[in-house]
Parts: sequence; structure tokens; C-alpha cells
Amino acid sequence: MKQYAKDYTVGELMCVTLAREIEDSDVVVLGSFTPLAYASYILAKITHAPNSCLLAYAAVDFRPFQLSFIRAESSATRGAALLWTMLEDLNSVHLKGRGDVEAISSIQADQYGNINLSVVGEYDKPKLRGPGGAGAPEVIKMHRKMIGYFPSHSKMTFVPKVDVITGTRYLIGAQERIKSGYRPGPIRYITNLCVITKEEKDKPFRIDFLHPGVKVEDVVNNTGFPLEVPASIPETEKPTEEQVRLLREEVDPYGTINFDFKPGKERLGYLKEMLNKELQAIGYA
Amino acid sequence: MPSENKVGKLSDITKIIKEGDKVAIGGSWLGGHPMAIIREIIRNKIKDLTAITVVGSIDIDLLIGAGCLKRLMFSFVSMEAFGLAPNFRRAIEKEGLPYDEITGLAVIIGLEAGGRNVPFLPYRGPFGSDLIKYRPEFYKNIKCPFTGEELIAAAAIVPDVAIIHAVRADKTGSIQMEGTTGSDIEMMRAAKKRIVSVEEIVPSEEIWKHPEKTKVPKFQVDMVIEAPLGAHPTSCAPHYVFDAWHIMKYMEYAASAETFKKYIQDYVMKPEWEYLEAIGGMRQASILRRLAREVKFL
Repeated sequence: MKQYAKDYTVGELMCVTLAREIEDSDVVVLGSFTPLAYASYILAKITHAPNSCLLAYAAVDFRPFQLSFIRAESSATRGAALLWTMLEDLNSVHLKGRGDVEAISSIQADQYGNINLSVVGEYDKPKLRGPGGAGAPEVIKMHRKMIGYFPSHSKMTFVPKVDVITGTRYLIGAQERIKSGYRPGPIRYITNLCVITKEEKDKPFRIDFLHPGVKVEDVVNNTGFPLEVPASIPETEKPTEEQVRLLREEVDPYGTINFDFKPGKERLGYLKEMLNKELQAIGYA
Repeated sequence: MPSENKVGKLSDITKIIKEGDKVAIGGSWLGGHPMAIIREIIRNKIKDLTAITVVGSIDIDLLIGAGCLKRLMFSFVSMEAFGLAPNFRRAIEKEGLPYDEITGLAVIIGLEAGGRNVPFLPYRGPFGSDLIKYRPEFYKNIKCPFTGEELIAAAAIVPDVAIIHAVRADKTGSIQMEGTTGSDIEMMRAAKKRIVSVEEIVPSEEIWKHPEKTKVPKFQVDMVIEAPLGAHPTSCAPHYVFDAWHIMKYMEYAASAETFKKYIQDYVMKPEWEYLEAIGGMRQASILRRLAREVKFL
């Protein structure tokens, strides 16, 4: 009998929900340092997906490590089965179609499976110049599933049409993907409110799960495009007591996954607190 | 024994990097950027450069803030968890810095094309992306001459100079890396000239003991420069981590163009050894090295 946790953060809920997307033989890529995604993959690796192959930086199939704010790169490198270059990575994983999951996030996402990490506003006169997409614009097309996570579900993020298409899933339906040599898989977004999925080009995103306490209208009112609302929507499975313990004691004792959920003003203070804990752990400060 | 000697001092970079050059900058995210060379570019006021990066951070932001760039090619520039890159944003949003935003794979494949001496390489590129539309000089839709399949051609990228940071080299220029290599090796193959800063220059006997660690052959290297902690404040995996404390300080200085001038004065416009003193000297270096060593596996 699973014992569900009574006390968990929304970050922990999203983390275990994302971890469930990882299957046991998956090839899972970690892109830019996004603590929530890193924690999810490591949690999956030490629980239900021990045979998954995790990739980060130059490291291939690295041993699961304790996450910290500044040591992810050296941890992955020191525990790697193989170190390779970005070119070898994209030849072997991306272009070969062997990637299963590489969760992305985005400034804007729309009903068509487009993401925008470029600019808000006009391309040549941006109101906000975003970071750019790095690998995201292409991995969302190439990998088996397109998984996105969004810590703040709002109409600012989920817009009818993105200002700039940095990248897109491009081929969505299973038949279309197979015909063109891509493995079929859904577009799935895990947010702080719910899980939504799109599986066909001509069908809208469907609300699959609502997080505990969230109502359908909370999701609909905060999404800038039409959603399919099934007659009955199950609640997102809560984290178990064991998952919460693993996250807090083993995978993420410094609390990096909650960083994205801190309001702007509190972020720097929270960051300094985490860094101090890391110093203490190695006997400084 | 080989007699060639490619060892230079930081100040010798002006013999290779010239005003107006296209400079590919190694490293990725907050790791492995050739920061000592970048500081030296700023000290020598080498301007009008076009920087080429795959995934840049403080390397690009610092060069922009110091006024060294006339153009930027990138797939990603961000200070990651510390926020968006402040000088990068200001320059593009307020001052209209010209740029070419290319997807990460297209930059790497473009560099690989440059290294192979071909004008483009085809791949199953970012169909449907607006970036193809905005920068047709880097992307073309093509048909496979054998099967008719629709493909994207990524244009070759040939930098005038590539600058990277590595762990060690000998004086002939065999370059060893032990951690994240990013797209450094592709940049070295593609570029016309190359400068490498390293943590240490060692006798060739040390290189021969571990040939598997040598990632760049000497004929792809024009100058090696010993610069301990030369990637600071970015990391040199697995030897030291990025300096989160200094990056937080950088973000404070970079909050406005005015205060950023003071960063340049306080940290950049002084000899490299004084920079290393200013960021906390040996004590800070030992903290960063220790953090990189003390990792915990589950």
C-alpha cells in the first residue's frame, strides 16, 4: 500500500510527476541546469528506472548523484561511464532519434506545440530578449516525447500563438511522425496546476490530471488557448512519503528544486542560503 | 625531442586576435569559458569582434558589457539560475546590437562543416522554426539528391580565431581535457587560428602517459598560454566549480551600464594575478576545487 505524503511542495509534486515520464530503458538528456528536471531524472534512476541512461554536460550514463546548486557538472563528470563532445552527443542521440525525454521550459508556449525562448514582442524590436533555445528547438521535434515543465501556469506563458517560434514539435500525430522517421510520443506539459497533453495536430491540449486542490476553471482561466476538458479528470498522483524522503534527504537536500518557485524578491536570499549550506557541507563557513 | 614552442603570455593574444575578427568562444553554460583570454581582450581594447558561441553566459555578457562586440552569433546566452544575461539584454533591447540567433545544433553542425571544408552540412533541422525564416543566410531548405527527402542545410561557420580553455598542454600544443568539452573541439577544427589557455603546461612526457585525454592535436593549435584558474568565474570540470559567489557579485555590478563600468575597473583592468587576488585568492580557489571533488553518489 502506497503511503502518500501529507506535506509536500508544488515543486516536489511536479518533480515526481516528471519522474513518472521516465521509463526504465529511456535515454534521458539534461540540458541547461534546471534543478527540477535534474532531480526528477535522478529520482527516477534510483527508484523505478535504474536502467535509464542519463546524459548531462559531457557525461554519458552517469551514476545518480546528490544534487547541489554548483556541483551538478563535476558530479556528472566524475560519475560518467563515458565523456563525449556535443557533436558526438547530437549525432548519437538527437539526430539518430534515440532520445526519449529532455524536459524543456519556455517563456511562451502555444496550442500548436510551438515554444518561444527568443523574444517577447517583435523579433527586431523586442520587449524582452530571452536566452535563446540552445538545443530545445530541435530536441522537442527529435526526441520520442516532448515534455515541458512550467512552474507558473498563466496566460503570459500559455498564449494562443507564440510571438516567435523558436522551435516546434512539427510532426505531432503518431502516424505522421512514423512516416517521417520519428518515434511517436505525446506533447505533455507539467505545470504548477495540472498536466496537459496533445497527441494530434488537429486536437487541442487535453487536461489529463489536476493537481490536488486545483479546479478545472483555475486551469481554463489561466490558459490562453482552448483546452479539451474531459467529463471527469483524475487528480495527479501525490508524491509518496518515500519519494518525499528521497528528495529531501538523498537527491536534493539543499532544496534546489524549490528555487524556481520562490518569488523574485526571495530568490537571491534563498540562493545564498543554499550556497552557505554547501559550504558548510565541505567544512567551510 | 620536438623543438617547437607555442607557449605565449596572455598579452601575446594581440598577435593573433585582431580588431574585427570572428572569434569562436569555447565553453558551455557556466563551464569552461576561456575567461582569462576574454579579460585580456578587454584589457587590450580589441573591438568590433563578432563572437560565436553555442551556449554562452558570462563570457559573452562580459564582452558585450565591455563594448568589444559588433555582432553576436549564439544559440543561447544566459546566466542560468542567476537570471538572464544583463548586458546581453541591454545591448539587444536598448542599443540594437546586431545578432544571429541560430539553433544549437545548427551552430555545432555549421562548425563541423567549417572543419570539414564543405560549405554546408545537411540534417533534419528545425523545420517550422522562425529562426530559419529570420536568418536564411544560415539555413536553407534542400532536397536529398538520393531520396528526395526534405532536409535543412546548415551553413559552414569558419571563425578567424577560436579561443578555448583546457586542463593541460605541452609546449607543442597537444591539448588535454578531462571534463566538459562542449563544442570546443569542433571550434578548433573549424577556425583559421587557435589560442588555448590551460591550467598547466607540462613536459610532453606527461602528455604521452595519457594520450586518451588529448582532445586536440598540436597542428590545430597556434598558441598555448598557462593561465591557472583561467576559466574563473566559470568552471573547469572536474577540477573546480563555477564561482557562484563571484557571479552574484557580477550580477549586482551588471544591474546597470553605469555600475558595470566599475566592474571592468575593479576586476578586469588589472593584471590577471591581481584579478585572482580580487576574487578571493588561494582561499577561494581551494573552496572551488574542493567543491568539485566532494561529490556524493547515491
